[in-house]
Amino acid sequence: MAKFEEQATQTLFEKNFITEEQLVQIKNYRSSGIFSLNAELKMFLYLGVLLFTSGIGILIYQNIDTIGHIAILSLLLIVIVICFYFCFKNSKGFQKSETAFESPVLEYLVLAANILTCIFIGYLQFQYKPFGTHYGLATLVPTLVSFFCAYYFDNKSVLTIAITGLTAYVGFSVTPQDLLKNDFYSHQDLSYSAVILGGLLILWTIYSSRIQLKTHFNLIYLTFALHMISIASISNLVNEHKGIWFAFSIILAGSSFYFYKISHEVKAISLFVFMIIYAYIGINIFIFRIFENIDFSDIWVLFVMVIPAYFIGSIILFIKLIKNFNKEIAE
Amino acid sequence: MILLNKSKLKNSALIDEADSLKNAGFIGKEQLDFIKKELPVLNSHNNILVRIGFFLLGSFLYSSLCGVVSLLGLSGMDESWKIFPYLFAIIGVVGSEILTKQDYHNHGLDDAFILGLQLNIGFAVGVSTDGDNILAITIAVTIASIISYLRYVHLLSALVFYLAFTATLGYAIFDFLEAGQAILPFFMMFYGIGTYYFCRRLISKLDEPFYYKGIVLIKNMSLILLYFSGNYLVVREFSASLADTYYEVSPEIPFAFFFWIFTFGIPVLYLFFALKNKDRIMLWISFAAVAFSFYSFRFYYSVLPIEIALTLGGLVLFAIAFLSIRKLKHKETGLTFKPDRIANSNAFLNAEALLIASTFGMKPEVKSPESPMEFGGGGFSGGGSEGNF
Repeated sequence: MAKFEEQATQTLFEKNFITEEQLVQIKNYRSSGIFSLNAELKMFLYLGVLLFTSGIGILIYQNIDTIGHIAILSLLLIVIVICFYFCFKNSKGFQKSETAFESPVLEYLVLAANILTCIFIGYLQFQYKPFGTHYGLATLVPTLVSFFCAYYFDNKSVLTIAITGLTAYVGFSVTPQDLLKNDFYSHQDLSYSAVILGGLLILWTIYSSRIQLKTHFNLIYLTFALHMISIASISNLVNEHKGIWFAFSIILAGSSFYFYKISHEVKAISLFVFMIIYAYIGINIFIFRIFENIDFSDIWVLFVMVIPAYFIGSIILFIKLIKNFNKEIAE
Repeated sequence: MILLNKSKLKNSALIDEADSLKNAGFIGKEQLDFIKKELPVLNSHNNILVRIGFFLLGSFLYSSLCGVVSLLGLSGMDESWKIFPYLFAIIGVVGSEILTKQDYHNHGLDDAFILGLQLNIGFAVGVSTDGDNILAITIAVTIASIISYLRYVHLLSALVFYLAFTATLGYAIFDFLEAGQAILPFFMMFYGIGTYYFCRRLISKLDEPFYYKGIVLIKNMSLILLYFSGNYLVVREFSASLADTYYEVSPEIPFAFFFWIFTFGIPVLYLFFALKNKDRIMLWISFAAVAFSFYSFRFYYSVLPIEIALTLGGLVLFAIAFLSIRKLKHKETGLTFKPDRIANSNAFLNAEALLIASTFGMKPEVKSPESPMEFGGGGFSGGGSEGNF
């Protein structure tokens, strides 16, 4: 494996791109024969948490209404308390900037404690209904707990859980596999709330960068906001109700413009690419809606001939855009 | 054989190396920028999102070109429509040649045309033989993909080549040998071992780096093939699906004991050799193999109820990781927990937040009251999930 990489380093040296000192350093490092299991072991921790919490979730679900459920519930509470005890003991306390635990194990412990708390509250609500029929509250409380954990322990994974909880409270789902299944089309108000919530998340990123509060979280907020606003707008572009589709195309255009700017600012190519994809879909639907009143039955041959040219044009445009983006973030 | 500009291909490798050296902190940003400015390279995209985007656009372009050709040729043809897939394949060849000549490599656009041409060649042969000669199709795809790999140094083509070639051998054994079904697993095992050692020899003899990645890919694919060809679940279900005596439960296979040993022995061997030879890809294959072995076992014998198995499994995994981290924490050389400065596999850690959002994300508890009841009769009122997700 290392053969060709060492060869490449050597060539870099021969072409005078790196100094001899650097070459020696690199060679020394390579010869120490490091084989890091960092990512692998972290994945094990993550999988451990994933399996354990899913197992507990099923266990509680199946034992509802049996004698064992009090026992399971108290056991769960004890586990949660132990997890949080270790997390609080080893945490450096709340900090505005990015922090990390000394040991990565604790990060996953926070995650486990947080998920278990959510399960615990969900179970309580199901069995004893402490929030009565205020189902929203039963979602909001775990969300608030998650936000607290995310900010206190500086944990991005928990933050994503918190944001999904927030949107669930509003009434739609932003988990990656469900995002496209939301019924924005027949729920007009859901689209408005998605757009408004997305806007609020953007405002929050602006505010938190002004007060320098966990600025590394901004990318997550922006990602969620981009997908929420764009998907809600695009689903409404096909709306038959007069005027609504036009309003949403303006919203989509505005959000695309904002994310075009902000993706350059935070140097995030993922935001940029998704912004382009959504804008492209939006433009195509827009063109289609403009032309939908024209009768194509006579000129459809021409139409098929024009399509390749249209794609070639789009490809050239995208290549230019990406090149431009790469150049600007390199500066 | 290579159509690409070789010096630019080499420069791309140099830039990759410089990039990883910069990430490791051995060279500065100005130095990297200088190197990038000095060396002309191919048009490639390292970002997988961008590449997928261009792949989609390329596929649109390819299919719209095919649409134009069909439209032009459609008039006054009845039997000769079988010629169309060949024309489509020719479009693919022309597109790949043009793009490669224009220095597009791993860009997304070239992926669409190169893979499309292989697909269409398989399709064309299938149409010509009325679809009942699978061997002919796999042979055609094998030839098309190996030529595309050698000519365009296109990594995915190497993968297609190995899969198609393996399928060709499998079908050949099946069609032409009396006892084909019985010896198929053993044949595949030897074939897997054979390709593995063949690739290793090739790598050690390789002078030029161009084909290195493709050979490594095939080497690791052969490891996966070796595992699957001896996996109890795969062998049993595959032979059951071939035999007609398949009711509710697949019949027991001969040499079951041997296959069970193989199922659990191979992952352990992989793990051992991966750690010994410091082979990261083999390590990941061994993890996946261990997981699939447990799945195979549970498929036939449910020892524990699923929820207990999950809970205990999670605890054991967490404990293994925790103890290993404690042990490896302070080591500086060899096996260590310290992130590797040069070759860090961060892809998982970056995807982690997304994975968590999809597994644990909360869903709305109760659908909003005005659910669209007017559209369908009953059974459309969303129950929502019940608080545990």
